[in-house]
Amino acid sequence: METYQQGSTLFSAVLVLVASVVVIQLWLVAAALDALLARQMAVLVPTALASAVLFMLSGGLLWYVVSFDERLRHWGPRA
Amino acid sequence: MAERPRWREDFPVRWDEDTYMTRRELAKFLTLGSGLLAGVNVLIALIGLTGKPPATPVRRLAAADEVAPGGSLLFRYPTADDPCILVRDASGRFDAFSQVCTHLSCAVVHRPEEQSLACPCHKGSFSARDGLPLAGPPTRRLPRIVVEQCGGDLVATGIEV
Repeated sequence: METYQQGSTLFSAVLVLVASVVVIQLWLVAAALDALLARQMAVLVPTALASAVLFMLSGGLLWYVVSFDERLRHWGPRA
Repeated sequence: MAERPRWREDFPVRWDEDTYMTRRELAKFLTLGSGLLAGVNVLIALIGLTGKPPATPVRRLAAADEVAPGGSLLFRYPTADDPCILVRDASGRFDAFSQVCTHLSCAVVHRPEEQSLACPCHKGSFSARDGLPLAGPPTRRLPRIVVEQCGGDLVATGIEV
C-alpha cells in the first residue's frame, strides 16, 4: 500500500541522499581541480566518471520519487 | 470593522507565502546542482586531457662547483613563474625540485642537516632525495626537475610530476 506518509518519508530520504551526493560531487570537483593544477592527469577521468555516475544516481532518485508522488496524486493510495 | 495594523502595510506578504520552497523544488534544485557539478568535473577532465603539457626547455642552471655539498641554489624552471630549488647532498649528488609546497603552495626551504625540504607555513617536510612527503599536511610529492651534468655545468631538461 502506498500512503501519503510513505511518500513523505520517501521524499525526505531521497532529499538527504541527493544532498549527500551533491556534497560528494563538490569534493570530487575540488580533488579534480587539485589534480589538474598538480598535472596529475590520471585522476581526472575517474573523478569525471564518478561525478557523472553520481549525477545519474541523483537524477534517478528524483525521477523515482516524483513518479511515486505522481502515482499517489493521480490514482490515490493503492491497496 | 477592525482597522488593519500599520505593520501590515509595510509587510504585506504572509510568512507562509514568503520564499516558500517545496521539498520537490529543493530536490530538483539539488539534482540540477548535481548535474552542474558533473559538468564541471567533465570540463576539468577535458581541459586536463586536451591541454598541452608545459614546454620543458633545456636550460643551464649553474656550474656544478657553484653549489657546495650540503648547499642549495634557487632557480626558475620552466618559466619565470615556477620557483625551484637545487640541492646537493654531502656525497655530491644533485637533486632539484619545485619549490612550491604541494599543500598550500608556500615556498619550501632546504634543511641540509635533516636532508629535507621544509615548508615553514604548516610544518610540512619533504625528502631532499626524492621529494616524497615526510611529515606534516602535504600528501603529494614535490615535482622533480630532471638535472643533468654536462661537463662542469648543471642543466635542467624536464619535469617529473
